[in-house]
Amino acid sequence: MVPGTGYGSHAHLPVPLEIAGIGIMITLKGVTYTYPGTDSPALQDFSTEIPRGQFCAVIGPNGAGKSTLAYILAGFIPHFYQGTLQGEVSVAGKNTTTTPLGDLIRMVGLILQNPFNQISGTKVTVREEIAFGLENLGVARSEMIERVETVMALVGLGDLAERSPLALSGGQMQRVAIASVLVMQPPVLVLDEPTSQLDPIGSKEVFSVVRAMASSRQMTVIMIEHKLEWVASFADRVIVLAEGALLADGDPEDVLANESVWRQGVGQTRYTLAGRRLEELGKWKEGKKLPVTLEEAVPAFRKFQKQV
Amino acid sequence: MADARRNFNTITLVLIPVAIAINIAVGQLIYTLKIPLYLDSIGTVLVGVLAGPLAGALTGLISNLVWGLSGLNVTYAPFAAVAAVIGLLAGVFAEAKWLRTWWKAILAGVITGIISAAISAPISAYVFGGVTGAGTDVIVAIFRGFGFGLLPSSFAQGVTSDPLDKAITFLLVWLIVRALPMRFLSRFPGASNISA
Amino acid sequence: MAEAIGLYLPRASFVHRLHPVTKLAISGFILVAGLALPGMWSPYLLVLFGMLPLAVLSRVFRVLASRTWRIVVPFMISVFLIQGILWSGGTPLIGFGPISFKREGLQFAVASTGRILIVVSSFLWFALTTRPDMLMSALAQRGLSPSLSYLIVSSIQIVPRFQARAATILDAQRARGLEVTGSMLRRMRAVVPLVVPLILSSLIDVEERALAIEARGFNHPGPKTSFVEITQAGWEAFLQWFLVLAMAATLIFRFLSR
Repeated sequence: MVPGTGYGSHAHLPVPLEIAGIGIMITLKGVTYTYPGTDSPALQDFSTEIPRGQFCAVIGPNGAGKSTLAYILAGFIPHFYQGTLQGEVSVAGKNTTTTPLGDLIRMVGLILQNPFNQISGTKVTVREEIAFGLENLGVARSEMIERVETVMALVGLGDLAERSPLALSGGQMQRVAIASVLVMQPPVLVLDEPTSQLDPIGSKEVFSVVRAMASSRQMTVIMIEHKLEWVASFADRVIVLAEGALLADGDPEDVLANESVWRQGVGQTRYTLAGRRLEELGKWKEGKKLPVTLEEAVPAFRKFQKQV
Repeated sequence: MADARRNFNTITLVLIPVAIAINIAVGQLIYTLKIPLYLDSIGTVLVGVLAGPLAGALTGLISNLVWGLSGLNVTYAPFAAVAAVIGLLAGVFAEAKWLRTWWKAILAGVITGIISAAISAPISAYVFGGVTGAGTDVIVAIFRGFGFGLLPSSFAQGVTSDPLDKAITFLLVWLIVRALPMRFLSRFPGASNISA
Repeated sequence: MAEAIGLYLPRASFVHRLHPVTKLAISGFILVAGLALPGMWSPYLLVLFGMLPLAVLSRVFRVLASRTWRIVVPFMISVFLIQGILWSGGTPLIGFGPISFKREGLQFAVASTGRILIVVSSFLWFALTTRPDMLMSALAQRGLSPSLSYLIVSSIQIVPRFQARAATILDAQRARGLEVTGSMLRRMRAVVPLVVPLILSSLIDVEERALAIEARGFNHPGPKTSFVEITQAGWEAFLQWFLVLAMAATLIFRFLSR
């Protein structure tokens, strides 16, 4: 089965009842967090609102506080990591500081970088591994079976259902991790650099799945990513973090073509780089916005081609 | 059934299988070096030091069962109690702050090795006829030849390898906990026992 | 059918389909009976008339026999030679002078070999026919802590990955010039550069693994359900109880007849 085909085309995951009718899914107000034993805050006075169904990418140089943001959204700060969390965090209508972690994990699904670490190890088949979270939540068996089948179809794991989850490739393992989280039906999905430890094929597999999830608009997706071409093509919105603070926030076309963003060491897409080279050569129209995606680049460069 | 977590928090629970896998991976690695060491309880000692005697004992116990169930060395299974004691002692010595200095760590290892040889002897004598089936049986032969009983001969065999092996194990653990970042270490109950 | 995990060998046998606790009871009984019943030949009889037919029924005879043999032979040779010949104050039976097999030594060697045989074969048979995760699930359904279940099964399953990591570190260090052959001193010096990186890199995973398992609700309050249904036939419950009582009876009998 070719990844990228058929994902998201099957039944949609039913939305958990408590959040029906919420417009703004995530609110952060003045959030500051310092890890225990460190001096400077990892995230400083950060505020934002993320509407339901949005696909928001978070980019920034290393140490910018992106993973910290992910843990805060999922409630692991403050429940798993000690240290003081200041400010207000509200996800799916719940205050993450006062709501127990057991409830928060049903609101936010968290995917981490290392696929292997997300495989529990207690199950011997992919199917059972996916059901593991539901077992812990005490879901009835008949419902478990149904949910697991739906999610496996959604993520394209049907062929791997009987395989050992630890005998898979990185990309396959990461998809199992995603399925294991999706099966718990969280309205919010947070992914912390899910492809950074994968090869190009694995990355492509994961991006296909995430894109399908996001485009169905059923889930609010926040993805921390370094692969800017992908971010530029698929994100609704890009938030740039640097040194624990918000640097930029807006449409990918604007944010990724913004010079002050580049200066923070975020990098540019290849298309932007090509555009900048043309700028240096004096061939780029003064003040015209640089392209960030292939779609923007093609007509712009075609015009240039005609000039030559 | 009551609280699934017992007294262990999640990070200790997750540490244990990793420690068991370390036991096996290091044990096999050392085997390829063909030196007179086993170093196959280094993970157990690590857990005992980081998370306390009970966690260490549990690690040792399950570790020997896993050696057996994974097909790598079935003869380890009857010695699960010995491995448990090693983990227990590691925790006890750590709580006595012996893991703060390198030479006390070595001493802790030597004592643990002697105790472990003492507990292994009756198990070996009962289940395995007092022999190991390996080269160290020469020592058993020598002692038996001089008229020593089953248990003393088996103990003698153990005492020529265990104290050295555990001394190096404890020393390596001393080294390793020093190299661990404070952020990781501070999550474990044993952290205060390690740094002065 | 699920892939092999650890020692477990998937086979389409009637025994494999039995409930894990039934198999635990069977191997437990054979072990206890083999060790507790009097007479140095009783373990052999149990192996011959209990273990071997069971192995045939479970379609693991060849694997069980070869593995058991491979494990037991070194012990057997050692115990016969050392305890057989060097038995202090023993009555010589075969041989000349000091290099002769003593009767008591031989008796001990025979009894010992019997014990090793029963311990190894009963454990191996159980491991070959029972999936560890099934065993743990079954025990969890009977009240065993899910933590214990997690510990045993994930330990078995993650071992291969750590073995691979060890091999990678060995290659990397050798590429950097580490000597792992040669004099004893050189080989001993290789210990730290091999073991310390392996352990440190393995420990980095621990925090993330703990986070991930929390994210899957491992500490979620309330009763857990089971995805896989492990059933047992009615007669199995009866057999389990019977075997447990038989084990107890054997032990009591042995205790009283001392």
